[in-house]
Amino acid sequence: MLALRDLQAALAGIVRGEDQPRLEAAVIGDAITAAARLRIYRHHIEQSLTTALAATFSTVQAIVGEDFFRAMARRYVAGDLPCQPVLAEYGAGFPAFIAGYEPATSLPYLADVARLDWALNFAFHSPAANHLTPADLSSLPAERVAELPLALAPGTAVLRSSYPIDRIWRVSQPGAADETVDLGVGGVSLLVLRREDDAAFVGLSEAEEAFLSAVERGETLEGAAEVGFQTGGAFDLSTTFARLLALKAIAATQHHFVERVEKAL
Amino acid sequence: MRAVAGIGLRSPHIAEVAHDRPATGFLEIHAENYLTGSPALRTIERLRGDYEFSLHAVGLSLGSVEGLDDTHLERVAALAERLAPALISDHLAWSVSGGRYFNDLLPLPYTEEALDVVVGNVLKLQDRLKRQVLVENPSCYLGFAHSTLSEPAFLGELVRRSGCGLLLDVNNIVVTAHNLRLDPAAWLADLPASAIGEYHLAGHAVNDADGEPILIDDHGSRVSEGVWSLFDAVLERHGPRPTLLEWDTDIPALGVLFEEAARAGHALKVRAATDARAA
Repeated sequence: MLALRDLQAALAGIVRGEDQPRLEAAVIGDAITAAARLRIYRHHIEQSLTTALAATFSTVQAIVGEDFFRAMARRYVAGDLPCQPVLAEYGAGFPAFIAGYEPATSLPYLADVARLDWALNFAFHSPAANHLTPADLSSLPAERVAELPLALAPGTAVLRSSYPIDRIWRVSQPGAADETVDLGVGGVSLLVLRREDDAAFVGLSEAEEAFLSAVERGETLEGAAEVGFQTGGAFDLSTTFARLLALKAIAATQHHFVERVEKAL
Repeated sequence: MRAVAGIGLRSPHIAEVAHDRPATGFLEIHAENYLTGSPALRTIERLRGDYEFSLHAVGLSLGSVEGLDDTHLERVAALAERLAPALISDHLAWSVSGGRYFNDLLPLPYTEEALDVVVGNVLKLQDRLKRQVLVENPSCYLGFAHSTLSEPAFLGELVRRSGCGLLLDVNNIVVTAHNLRLDPAAWLADLPASAIGEYHLAGHAVNDADGEPILIDDHGSRVSEGVWSLFDAVLERHGPRPTLLEWDTDIPALGVLFEEAARAGHALKVRAATDARAA
């Protein structure tokens, strides 16, 4: 008799495509064999998880078509089953998988589009958190503001691609006009954000991207500004910072810091 | 909760329900769809003023020998606290092994060993939530030769030892009975009626396995006539309970769900009236 632990491990093996003769022998078969009965579960798991990936990576599916997507997703699912039951949080490893997926090598931008889909999904499912506002800063002396350690708001991400994935993403949405994208226009830096009712992305200049990447690393405003200026481009700190505050891209973890500073003053 | 008919609220219908606030007995949502910070949870919270809710989990994996996942349990508990639903349920099944989640309601052998596992997990869940949960009979596509208990007998023991209630899915009885060559009437006769806290109704598909018809619990069509007649038999035997109409694949217009729920609501009323006359 199969102990429950062994039975569950064996069924997990079936899902990964293994033969499990002991499990098969424990299943009652008749006109429908034990193997066929086990296959129903395997197919459902494969099917439901590829459907979940198709929902999260809808732009990738729009680009490659459903059949190609499902074949690719099935391979990924077999090697990287979810670690928890919230399907919106499944697929973090799919962009990297796509980057190494042989049949997709003719679409070198596909993995980056997948990263964008994932970042948008992640932003959408991130908690709506307080963000840093101009009012938080206005009461502080400039040198205090410069010393503020910054962080990106929850769900916010900076994405860099060597391909124009913003345009590729837009022309691949349902109902988009039938346009072609010239890959020759080159790469792009994007800021992905959670908004009130959805998630979205905006384009970033090279200096803005450098500034935000420094923020992502936990730099102070002063430190991140230095990184921005070092890019050599025309970096306008006050315009950039005002834009990022308006986009609600900076976390309000400094609220408490600001309050402490105010009390200390 | 009163013995009324409600619908499973799925994402394509949320905006319409939030805007129109159509009348229905109650709404059921899947817990796993509301555990992130997405704006959807806020919408559900706003609907709480107009509707009673049932929180139906699909991923607690009550049958896992490795026990409940504490992280997931805490997330579900936090959601339950936030929504204070009238009912909370999950399934007599498992979906986690070796820390991996299979996104399906996988079958258990009905043995003493499995009973100990499920009882332990249900007790832990009820301890954490500080309330009774309902456990639903699953749709099965296979049975194990070493099972020593029937499914209803297993559920009866689970109720007795854990104090949980039952969510009786009438479609699942039809699907399991067909696939495992069981008699639905005999299945029903073995069940502890007083523990039933909710009924589920849904459509199923008829697929082909090795050239033989097999029923698949896809929640993708109207409730079959066979399930409606068994629902009448269930009501006659066990009495009216809150009844939910589920539809999860090829989801139609909201009106179709309400038509189906209205038919369930009518059956509940007819049975309640008959019972009242008999009393």
